[in-house]
Amino acid sequence: MLIEQILIQTVNGIVTGMILALVASGLTLIFGIMDVVNFAHGELFMLGAYVGVITLAATGDFWLAFVISTLTIAALGAALYWVTLRPLLGRDALTTILATFGISLVLQNYALWQFGPVARKIQEPVTGHFSFFYLDYPWYRLVIALASAAIIGGLWLFLKFGTFGIWIRATMQDRVMAQAMGIPVPMVLTAVFAIGSGMAAASGVLFGPLVGVNHAMGLDWVLKGFIVVVVGGMGSLGGSIAASILVSLLEAYASLIVSPAQSVIVSFVVLILTLLFRPTGLFVRTPR
Amino acid sequence: MTDGTRVPDLDDEPWYSGKATRRRFVGWGGGILGTAMLVPAPWQAAFGAEKAYKIGTLQPLSGAGAAIGKTAMVGTQMAVDRINKSGGINGRPVELIIADYESKPDVGRRKAEKLVVEDKIDAHQGGSLSNVCLACMPVFEEQKIVNMIGVCLDTTITTSKCSRYTFRSFDYAPAQAVAFAPYLVGKLGKKWHIAYADYAWGQSTRDAYADEIKKVGGQIVGTTGIPLGTADMTAFLSKITGDFDGLFGIFFGKDGITIGNQAFDLGLTKKYKWAGDGAIAESTNLPALGAKIEGFVGINRYVPVLDAPLNTPSHKKFFDEAIIRLKQIDPSGPLPDRYVQSNFEAMNALKIGMVKSGFRGREDTNKLIEALEGLEMKEGDDFPQGDKTLRKEDHQAFLREFIFDIKGGKHRIVEVVSKEKTMFPPACKFSSSS
Repeated sequence: MLIEQILIQTVNGIVTGMILALVASGLTLIFGIMDVVNFAHGELFMLGAYVGVITLAATGDFWLAFVISTLTIAALGAALYWVTLRPLLGRDALTTILATFGISLVLQNYALWQFGPVARKIQEPVTGHFSFFYLDYPWYRLVIALASAAIIGGLWLFLKFGTFGIWIRATMQDRVMAQAMGIPVPMVLTAVFAIGSGMAAASGVLFGPLVGVNHAMGLDWVLKGFIVVVVGGMGSLGGSIAASILVSLLEAYASLIVSPAQSVIVSFVVLILTLLFRPTGLFVRTPR
Repeated sequence: MTDGTRVPDLDDEPWYSGKATRRRFVGWGGGILGTAMLVPAPWQAAFGAEKAYKIGTLQPLSGAGAAIGKTAMVGTQMAVDRINKSGGINGRPVELIIADYESKPDVGRRKAEKLVVEDKIDAHQGGSLSNVCLACMPVFEEQKIVNMIGVCLDTTITTSKCSRYTFRSFDYAPAQAVAFAPYLVGKLGKKWHIAYADYAWGQSTRDAYADEIKKVGGQIVGTTGIPLGTADMTAFLSKITGDFDGLFGIFFGKDGITIGNQAFDLGLTKKYKWAGDGAIAESTNLPALGAKIEGFVGINRYVPVLDAPLNTPSHKKFFDEAIIRLKQIDPSGPLPDRYVQSNFEAMNALKIGMVKSGFRGREDTNKLIEALEGLEMKEGDDFPQGDKTLRKEDHQAFLREFIFDIKGGKHRIVEVVSKEKTMFPPACKFSSSS
């Protein structure tokens, strides 16, 4: 029985970790390149889900809704960047934190006003189950994990081999030198914010069927997103992904031993230990 | 002995045109009265109309609990508008002072202090999240203001933490458990596992059901508390297994939607009987649950149906107006939920108490408390849900309960439990300081 439970929690941890990785990779990308801690990330996740609801109702096609939502929120992210964050870049980090916090409040209350308090449903594209020991496990959770892995893999390939990806990495290494080499840095920064926002929207649509779509759906995820970004190393894409899976697995295993209320503390314990003993992050090489 | 100089006469003064006669008095008086009638409304409001009662209402209108706060506000506003349209209370209109506590207890406490100290409210009606209600109760007690709760369900509000100034004009978990336990054990199964929202309301409700299920011959084989606001409950739900008949859920708001979806996804609602607090399948949650909540059996003080015994003209009137108002805050047009109903009725209970006691303001708080203690509320336009008794000993109301299931995406009443069958002994000792 214990082995069964450990295996079930391993799958749960990996699936949850992949969703978290998708949320966190957008956050870490924005921080790594722009030094902006985006407190509005959870609201972009939520708005993405709402756009998914609207598109799904209009088209009946989940994957089309997924693509349209990602692109729409990416465009919204670019617009938000130009209007609110671009004028603040280079100033004290507190100004961008306050700005993104303000955006998060505006977006959350906008959603409440526009869509109302009743939660909406996104119908999952795959409804089947398979027997997994004593559970009927939904295929859709595996679809979420695979889709998240595919998106993160695509982003990695884009950053590694795409011209624009190389520009992004160059900007991340040295913004002034990149500009001197002719890289259109303002355009790169806009694109980065748009990609991060689009990834938040994608995770919102993927996760929407499991929880229902409401104005506060991003709160829990973005808090965990920040934890794994710090644990993985601020700005490290690979670190955030590894930290997402590590934290989710630890929480899932902990739930076998202690109560759920105690198991969710695990992520905070990992965060505190990381800040105490390895503040640069668990998965970032420390310069000697 | 005149020196030839003339003594000035009052008639010569430019401002004085003669003696004050009755005709002149009536003429000037009429003119002043006519002018007063024509002056702008704010002046009339300040000096002319009866001074309004100030009723404060604390609600979570933003943050995680906003979905409940928004519909609760519909109920309160509906009642106040109806009161003002019918001439107010004791001939005085009601001014509603709304405070948004952003779903946070510390903000709630601060706003409660502002309502009583700065806004100088005469009474309070509202409160949705139990932890915020508990945080604010001492403020109302300290300032000696009647606090008529609208939604908060935590048992301790009218038991171990009861206050002479706080009233709950709707049900609480022990009464629901008394009403529901015989049905659960008699018709669904003897062995139960309880999954609950791990905070004040969830914990006290878990205890109430555990006690009552045991009393009627059932058994609790395990409990799982899940922290409030957990987005992915799968890791915790996956642990629920074993030899038992039913899974009993105690969740509300978005957590109700999460458990409804994820318990179904893991096959738990197919493997076990699926029952719980009616807040899981509240009308505002049903669209996000879809077919996954089909077959759920719950208990609630209010279900949005027009079937017997809710097929009364009073309920129809309440139901229709609530739908119109809910449509204004949510384009999907939800049906009224228990938050609309209990706030509407709580405000009406306060109104009846104020009328009965001849309440003039805070100085009459004691009279208002006496009027509310033991208040019998009769089914009608003020109380469309049905009759209620507001017990003197603990300020807790008893009312009929509806056991329902979800069929075809809608509520269906399967059993009505009379208020007499929901009675639970009082467990409150008001503090001597109050």
